[in-house]
Formats: sequence, C-alpha cells, structure tokens
Amino acid sequence: MGKGPSQSDYEPSEADKANASVAMAEYRFFKQNYDPLLQQMRDKSMNEDFSATLRGRANADTMQALTPSGYRSTQMSDLPSDINTALQGQLQGASAAGKEIQNTMQTNVLGIARKQAADAKTGMAEAARLGTSEVLARAQAKQTEKDALYGAAAQLITSAALQGFDNMQTSGTSYNKAGQAKQGTGTFFTPVNNYGQPIQGFKNRFKYGMG
Amino acid sequence: MSLFYNLTKEQQDRIIAGQTANDLPTVSDPDKAYADLTRQEYLDYVANYRDFELGLINKATTDTSLIDQAREDRERASALTAGMAERNRSRYGAALTPVQQQQQDRRLQLGNTLGGIQAVSDAKIAQRESNTRLLSDLINIGQGVNRSSQQQLATSAANKVQLDNAYRQAKANSRAQTYSTLGTLGAMAIFAFAF
Repeated sequence: MGKGPSQSDYEPSEADKANASVAMAEYRFFKQNYDPLLQQMRDKSMNEDFSATLRGRANADTMQALTPSGYRSTQMSDLPSDINTALQGQLQGASAAGKEIQNTMQTNVLGIARKQAADAKTGMAEAARLGTSEVLARAQAKQTEKDALYGAAAQLITSAALQGFDNMQTSGTSYNKAGQAKQGTGTFFTPVNNYGQPIQGFKNRFKYGMG
Repeated sequence: MSLFYNLTKEQQDRIIAGQTANDLPTVSDPDKAYADLTRQEYLDYVANYRDFELGLINKATTDTSLIDQAREDRERASALTAGMAERNRSRYGAALTPVQQQQQDRRLQLGNTLGGIQAVSDAKIAQRESNTRLLSDLINIGQGVNRSSQQQLATSAANKVQLDNAYRQAKANSRAQTYSTLGTLGAMAIFAFAF
C-alpha cells in the first residue's frame, strides 16, 4: 500500500546547506571586519570638517594671487575691495565643494549599508531558490519512484491473481482402462491439461503458458 | 593613506585572522538561518544607520549651512581686507590722503556688499543644488532598498506557494495511487469470488 509523502524528502539538499554555510561565513566575516569600518566612515563623514582644508587653501590662493607686494599696493584704492569680493567667492566655492565631499561620503556610507542588506538578502535568496528547485525535483523523483513501485507491486499482484483464476478455470477429463472418466480441475497455483492432469515442471508450464 | 592604517592593532589582527580562517558554520536549516540573518540585518541597520539616514533626510530638506557660512564670510572678509590694507600701509610707511582713505573705505564697503550679495546668492544656488542632489541620492538608495525588499518578498511568497503546491500534489498523487491499488485488488477479489 502506498505511503504518503514524507516531510523528510523535503529537507534542504547538501549543496543547499553548503551554500548557506558559506553565505553565513561570509556574512559574519563582513559583519566583524567591514561593518566597523563602515561605521568609522559614517562617524568620519559626520564629524570631519571637509570644508576647513578647502577654505584654508582658497583663502591662501586668493591672497597669493591678488596681493601685490610693494609700496604701490598701498596706493591702490580698489585692491581691498577686489580682494574682498574674490575672497568671498572663493570661500563660498570651497564651502560648497566641502559640502559636496561630505554629502557624497555620507550617501556612500548609507548606500553601502543599505546595499549590503539588499545584497546579503539577494545572495541568500538565490541560494534558497536554487536549493528549493533541487529539493523539489528530488522529492518529486522520490515520490514518482514510490508510486511506480507500488504500481508495479499492484500490477504483479493483479497478474498473479488473474493467472491463478485462469488456473482454477482449467479442467480436463481422463479415462482409465475400464473406460471410466475422471474429471480433473486446476488449482490456483497449478492448471491441468485436457486430460485433467496437473501441469508441473518449468518446461511443461512454459509450454502451457505459450499455448 | 589606506583606511586600514586607521584601524587599531586588534582590528587589523582580526581582519588578517579572518582571511585565513577556514571553519565554516554549520547551517542545517538555511531557511531559519536566512530568517535570522534578515532579521539581524534589519536590527543592525536600525541600531547603526537608522538615525544616520534620518539625519541625512532632515539635512537634505533643511540644511542652510552654505548660506550661513557665506553670510559669516561677508563679515569676516570685510574686516580681513581692511586689516590687510592697514598693515600694508604700515609696512611701507605709506599714508593716504583723507580723500584717498574715504575712497578706499567706500570701495571696500561697496565691494564687500556686492561681493557678499553675490557670494550669498551663489551659496543659495549651491545649497539648493547640494540639498537636491543629496535628497535624490537618498531617494535612489531608498528606492533601491524598497525594490529589493519587494523582490525578496515576492521570491519568498513564490517559494512558499511552490512548496505548498508540491506537497499538496505529492499527497494527492499518493492518495490516488493508494486508491488505484485498492481498486485493482478489490476488482481482483470480485473476479476471484464471482467465478
């Protein structure tokens, strides 16, 4: 009689377990070694003043470019005004560049942190998907095998029963020297020939079977 | 300089040790491991990056630091350039006539005002651009996470449905086979007893 499907047939495959094991190891390695680095980058992006260096350099560049040396510079009434305007423009540009660096670093940190989660999930999902397909295929194959086995057993039983029934239907009549008829009938396991004699032995049974 | 050199000795050793370690964790139930990992990833994100992300969103919508800085620079630049002119005169022993001095002060004030207006205007444009770019990047990240999460959910749902269907199908096949076998045997019994 056919048994129902066993839940154990739906266990993860060895390859699936190995995949998951490697994925877990990689995940732990990342969490132990790279996540602290990412957190350091996060703190750095929040606390470090990226504009300060750029503004200092912008200030120096402006002064270097626009401050003439010598007595003549003291007589140029437009000079302080020009330097003032240029300095404000350069400092503003430096501040904007510093802000851009900070924003880029922060979005990079966040992108990595969020992408890390997404990647880990995607990788594991892929492993699970592959494992699922394999497990399904294996379970289905096993179930088909079981079904075929029970089907074959049923077919054998059916054939044997039919043959036994045929055997029981055989009958024959033999006559002794006195001319008396003797009726012989087949049993489940042994048929009889036209003379009512049991057909025994492999050779006779084969001949009988082949007609 | 590489970021590696910013690490403590302990952190560096941990990285090197990790690179040579070959012991794999045993994962007998990938489904549970995956569930644990997903849950832990989310908790780690909440603990380490949630405030950071919310801070960035807030910054992208409210930051005025470039404009504030430009206004501060306007005041400082005025004093800086006036002091520089004064030091130059002192260094070379130059003296300006009152008219020259008045002219220089007026030009400096004008330059400071116009330069300040331009710098603040530029800062406003730069601030808007910077905030917009930051917000766009954040939205891209958020959208990416949202998309992967939905794909992940769809995959999990599909896997679950597939497994359920397979199990139900297998049970149905088994039952059908059992009934078929019973039917065949029953038919045989009927044959056997009928004749």
